[in-house]
Formats: sequence, C-alpha cells, structure tokens
Amino acid sequence: MPEPAAPPVSPGGVEVAVVYAGDYVNKLSGQRIERECLLRLESGCRGLVINFRGTELVNSIGVSILLGVIEAAEERGTRVVFSHLSRHTVKLFDLLGLTRHVFLAETDEAALATRGEFAAAPPQGH
Amino acid sequence: MPPKSNKAGRILGRVAREHFVGRGEALRELVALAAPAAPPRSVLLLAAPHAGASELLRQTYDELFAQRGGASPVYFDFTRKDRTASAAARRFLHTFLAQAIAHRRHDPALVPAAPPLRALLDLASPSDYEWVEGLVESFERAQGEGDERSLVRVCFGAPRLAAARGARTLVLLDDVHAAEHLGGEVELGPELAQAAAQAGVPFALAGLRRRLLDLLNGAAALAGPDSTRTIHLSALRDADARALLEHLARERGVALNDETRDLAVQQLGGSPAFISALVGAASAARSSLESFRDFQKLYVDELMGGAIHRRFSAVLEEAAPSPALRRGLLRVLHESATNVGGKSPVEVWLKRLGLDALELERLMRALHAHELASFQATYVEATPGPVWSDFLRASYRLQVSVEPRALVVADTLVEALKRAPRTMARHYRRESALRLGDLLRRFDFQRVPASLLHYDRYARLYRGVPADEVAAGLEAETDLVRLPQIVHSASCAWFHPPVAQVCDEERCAVAHGFDTAAYADSGEVVWVAAEVESKLEAGRALTEVWLDRLAQVAAACGFERVRLWLVAPEGFSADASELLHERGAFGSSRRQLELLAARLGAGVAPEAANEFAMEIPMGEDTELIAAHTVEQIARRMEFEPEAINQIKTALVEACINATEHSLSTERKIYNRFRVEDDKLVITVSSRGLSAPGYVSDNGASFVENHNGHESGEGLRGRRGWGLKVIRTLMDDVEFERVDDGTRLRMTKYLRK
Repeated sequence: MPEPAAPPVSPGGVEVAVVYAGDYVNKLSGQRIERECLLRLESGCRGLVINFRGTELVNSIGVSILLGVIEAAEERGTRVVFSHLSRHTVKLFDLLGLTRHVFLAETDEAALATRGEFAAAPPQGH
Repeated sequence: MPPKSNKAGRILGRVAREHFVGRGEALRELVALAAPAAPPRSVLLLAAPHAGASELLRQTYDELFAQRGGASPVYFDFTRKDRTASAAARRFLHTFLAQAIAHRRHDPALVPAAPPLRALLDLASPSDYEWVEGLVESFERAQGEGDERSLVRVCFGAPRLAAARGARTLVLLDDVHAAEHLGGEVELGPELAQAAAQAGVPFALAGLRRRLLDLLNGAAALAGPDSTRTIHLSALRDADARALLEHLARERGVALNDETRDLAVQQLGGSPAFISALVGAASAARSSLESFRDFQKLYVDELMGGAIHRRFSAVLEEAAPSPALRRGLLRVLHESATNVGGKSPVEVWLKRLGLDALELERLMRALHAHELASFQATYVEATPGPVWSDFLRASYRLQVSVEPRALVVADTLVEALKRAPRTMARHYRRESALRLGDLLRRFDFQRVPASLLHYDRYARLYRGVPADEVAAGLEAETDLVRLPQIVHSASCAWFHPPVAQVCDEERCAVAHGFDTAAYADSGEVVWVAAEVESKLEAGRALTEVWLDRLAQVAAACGFERVRLWLVAPEGFSADASELLHERGAFGSSRRQLELLAARLGAGVAPEAANEFAMEIPMGEDTELIAAHTVEQIARRMEFEPEAINQIKTALVEACINATEHSLSTERKIYNRFRVEDDKLVITVSSRGLSAPGYVSDNGASFVENHNGHESGEGLRGRRGWGLKVIRTLMDDVEFERVDDGTRLRMTKYLRK
C-alpha cells in the first residue's frame, strides 16, 4: 500500500508536497497518486515530489497516469520531481519519455534542493 | 513439414488437411510417387487395423488432385459388396476412367458423379479420347466374351494402357485385403500384384498388415529392391493422437479438457478411427468430453452400439457368419482372454466350435488379419487391448451369458471409470521409463568409463562434483569397459511373463549380443537389465531381490553367459554395491545412465521438470503474483537483477494486455514459464478477442503511433505502450496463432 502524502514543506518559501508511490504503480495506486497530487496542486503547491522508494514495479497504466499528473502540474506551472527511482524504473521511464518532463533526484532532500527550479517555474493556468 | 495444402479443398478426404496429423512422412512419400520425374515405384502400405490407412490414401488423392503436371491420382477401395472379382474389376475401370478424366479436366465434380463409361468417353479431352475409347472397347469386348480373367486383366491393365498413351496415373488401392473375399474364378491378389508390377506407373497398395503380403502372393511380382517400398502404419503417437482429438473436438463443437483428452488417447490406443468415433458420438449426443465420466459414458455407448461396436461386430460376422457360430466364437475368445496369458489350446477351439481344422483356419485367418487373435501351432491367443477386451467382455455377457443389458452397461461403465486412474498411471510410468532396451541397442562394442557402470566408484569420484568436472574426469578415465554389440533386445516380460507382475515391461530388458567381434559361441552374452524403484540409494535387501529376479529370468530362459545390470534412480548403498560386486553385476544411478546415454549418442530426458504453468484470474493485481513467480524462477536461473526486473515488467504488461483487450468471458490468463539452458521462455495466453496490434504482429508501429502526451492527447492517448515495453525488455517476442484469443511468447536469454 502506498504511504500517505507527507505534509507540504516550504523550501525557500515554495510549498512542495511529497507523494509516495508505493510498491506497485498500477491503475489503482496511480489514481491514488494522481488524486493526492491534484489535491496538492489545488491547494497551491508549487512543487511535487513523487517518491518511488520501495517501488518494485510500474506498469504502463501507472505510467500513463503519471504523465497525466505531469501534464496537470505543467498547466499550473508546477514542476514535478521523481525521487528514489530504481535504475530499472528510470530506464522504463526513459523508454516511455517521462524523464524528459520531470526532474530526477536520488533523495527527497535532493529533490527539495531543486527549489530554485520550483520557484522558477512560471505559473500557468489558474 | 507437411506437404503444401490442397487449395481445391477436400474431394475424398474426410478430415481437413490441417487436422490430418501424424502421417506427414507417409503422405509426402505417397505424394512423391506422382512427381513427373519419379520412377514407377510401388508402395505397400501395411496398416494396423483402425490406423487410418484409408484416410491417408484419400488425403494423398486430394493433395495430388490439386497439383498439376504430375500423375493423375486414382483412388479405389475394395469391398466385399462387390462379391466377385469381375464386379470389382468393372468398378475399378469405371473409377479409374472417371478419376483420371476428372484430374486431367481439373473437374473434381466428376469424381463422385462417376458418369457411365460411354458418357466418360464424351468427357475425355481430345488428347485422351483415343486411349479411353480403346479401353472402353476392350472392356466391352472382354465382357461380351464372358472370359473373367481377360476382363479382370483389361480392367486392372488400364493404368498401363493409359500410361502408354501419355496419361500417367498413380493408383491408390485401398483395403486390398478385402479382395480375397471376392468370389469367381480369378484370384485377385496375384492379378493386382502383376498389374502393379507391369503397369509402368506407380501403385500404392494398402491393406491390413497381417494379410496384404500373403494376398499379393508375397508380393513376388512386385519384388525388386528399387521398385517397391513398404510403409508401416501403426497407431498414432500420443502427441499426434492428442492433436487429432483436439482438432476434431474443436471442429465438431465438443468441449474437451486436457485430462479427458489424455485418457481418451491412452484408452483408445491412439487409434484415429476410435478417436473419430468417440468425438462423433459426443457431437451427436451434444455431450462434452470434460470429465472421465463424460468420456466413459460415451465410450460404453460406442462399445454397446456405436461405431466401435459395428467395427468389431463386422469382423466377427465375417469370421463367423452364422449367429450360433458367432456365439461360440465369443465364448472361446472370452475364455482365452480370461485365461492366464490369454491363451487356449487349439483342441478346445475345435471342440467348442464344432469346426474341422480347415474351417478353424479360415475363421482364425479373419481374426488374425484384424489382430483380434493370433493362431499359433497349438494354441490361440486373444489379442490384449482395452477396447477389444471391453467389447469382448460386454458382448459375451450380452450374447452368451444373456445378462440384462442395463446390468452389462452399468458394470462396463463402472469398471471403465475405476480403470481410468490405472490407465493414466500406466501411461505416466511408461513415459518416465529409462528405456533400457533402446540404450542397450546402442552399445555396439563402444568403450565407456567403468565408473558409469559401478555406482560406488562413481559416487566416490563424482558425487557433488560440478558437471564440467565430471565430464573432464570421465574423459580422463583409463579404466574402460568394452560393451558388447547387442543384436536383439526386448522386454524381460516377453521372455519370462511372470516378470510382468513385478515390473513394467519398459523397465526390464533382455539383450542378446556378442562381446567379441566374431559371432561365436564363446562371445555370446545376454545382458539382463532392470530399473529398480527407490527414492533413496537402493539398499542391499532390495538389490538382492532384483538380482535374484533377473537371475531367475536368465535361468528360466536358459541363458548361459549373463551380465546383470541394475539401475536405481539414486544409486546403491555401500552394502548394496558390495553385493553387486559379489554377484559380478553392474549398478548405475539415473545420472550415470544419462552420462552413459550421452556417450553412446542416445539422449535420456533430464528428470527435472523444466516448465511451470500458472493460471491467474484477470484483475485485482494478479499479474503481480505472476511477476513474483517468474522472479523466483529467473533467480534460480541466475539472471542478473536488472534482467529479472525486465522480465517481471514484460510479464506484467502481457497480463495487462490480456486483461484489457481480450474481453474474455472466462477471465483467466494462462502463464507458462519454460526453463531452458540458455533462456527463459514465457507464454502468456488468454481466450477472447485478439488485440489489433497482436494479430497483425505490428505492435511496434501501433504503439509508436500512440506514444504520446506530446501531442496533447488525454489519458487515453497515452495508452498502448505495453507491447513496446515488452519488445524492448525481452529478446524475442512472438505471437503464436491460436483459434481463440491471443498467445504471446517472450524469450529472455541468459547472459553470463
């Protein structure tokens, strides 16, 4: 089961949410991630970190949902960072073109350290 | 590879070409007879009863009819309905002309229509008119003269006359054994052999293997190393019989499961005729073949009054035309079958049936030809076999004991159901046997390391040692045993029947041979070998029992120089090995046997199972369970962690595709994981619809056209990556054709 999202943190005054992906990213858990992320975006978060620690497998349905999250975040001028990705998952995301649209960070701390990127992202949409 | 299929469709064949299994080689050989440059060879097709020889000839006919440029096929079957040789000859000529003209005009409608002779003359092409007219006139002249022999020769000489005028034919004569029952002055067998030998065109003569050669007068007229070839046709191999049953069941809409299929194949002895009868009965009764009970009910119905009943009854009627004699025959056959060894003295038969020696010989010839009994000098032996035995028992009870039909049906059904597990157990045991007889036949004076025949030595040197070191060690051994040359090997049970009570016939072999190059008394030796069942190393007591048994076989058979050889799966304990030495016997483990077989050029299938199967319900993340299973298998195979992840991901994608695209009503995914030396082969199949990318096998482009979020498509547009992922992560990806649904085969190679 995926862990609940961590409370937002505010590195450099930019509110960033960390969402945990869980062990298997499929349709169900992907939709759960999507809902968490959209909720955070609605509440004004300017940064999203999706933490893949312990993620064993990501299937193509999960990937498609993650792409939806990235799109939604981009529309709001919010950057998405993937953290704790296994090498295999990175390769899979590379194959399917996800890595062109997100930052990759080894840890959450490294992800939060990219706050400059979060702050620099121009707001779009509402 | 089967010959090219007949595009013109079926003319005489009763089975669709693609469903005609297990006879590819024979079919190719027969078809090749008609090739333009083929020499005019004849083929004798010696067939076991119910082995499907007729269908083989009919398939040959259809195959050839579709071909242009070769000989025209002509199929003719002998039948007792013709009553006389001259009637059969007349029908042959008519058939010959109709089929030859049909092929040359490429008009298959002429084959079943068979217009009258004079009408055929009108249908003949100008190039054929002259010889057809000549034949018809010769026939009419011979008929007018009333000379039967002359008529028969004109008719069966038609292929020769046609060939002389440029119309080459391949004559396929079926049920030739039936010709011996035709009355008249002319004995047809030698006439046929003569006609085939002199025709200058190829002939195929098919019939029961126990009668055909006798009927053709030993085929003396056909004799010649280059002019005649013999094809033996027996029951189908298990795999072919299974395939046939599956095809027929599918074609006739009969539900079938694997367990029932396998039982049916074993119980029906791989007979295409019986298999076809059973499926036909299931189809007619709208019954399924999804349980042993379904099958046995149909089987008993077939025995009591279906096609199987009619087949056996027809033979009995042929052998014993009068009802009283038939009842007597049933009685003596049943008594013989229930005697130990299935034998009874000839005197008993003569007395019980009230026949003289000649009459008995005629009766026995019919039973012998149909392989229902064998006639030796002093005794008659009823042929064993479940279907014949069941028929015989039921018929005896109904017709001789006059028991109520309901009781006989019920008992037969109950017995068949009780026997089913034993039938399958026997099959499994037979399949797992090491086939010592086959191995012995490969000895042929070869020298092998002595450690392969002495378990204690092997265990001391090689137990627990890696395979490559064992191979190197064996290669370096200097103590070698020179094996004899085996000239004959067969089951112990055939030499000494009591052995069958303690051992399956495949697990015990007697092999006669010579251990010196000169075939002399001094070099004559008999190896007596047996497989010993033991989960652990065989102990001394068990070893002693088996050595005594084999010694008893040797003594009973009067073998003089004997070498005993025991094979136990896990080898022999130290004291058992000591006993083997004391008795001068050899002892090997299964592993030693595999190594020996490899050296002798005979493969012994490795014992370890190499395929895993898993059926999962669709949905609820069950693909993860499959992924975890394949992970364990891949780990055992020592795949790298990254490769394991790739395999798991590919499997998950294949399962998701099956779930999403199949619309399967049964909602199941069938996974098979086959472990091979250098690769893991995964098959994922499901019933239902095939996804578009799957059936066209162009999934990559299908996927690539839909790859994207960049085009601004919504969630739906981002789907369809599964196949791309699979193709990227696995080494080989292939779709196998299935009648219903999709089967995806993915292979990952081990890279060490």
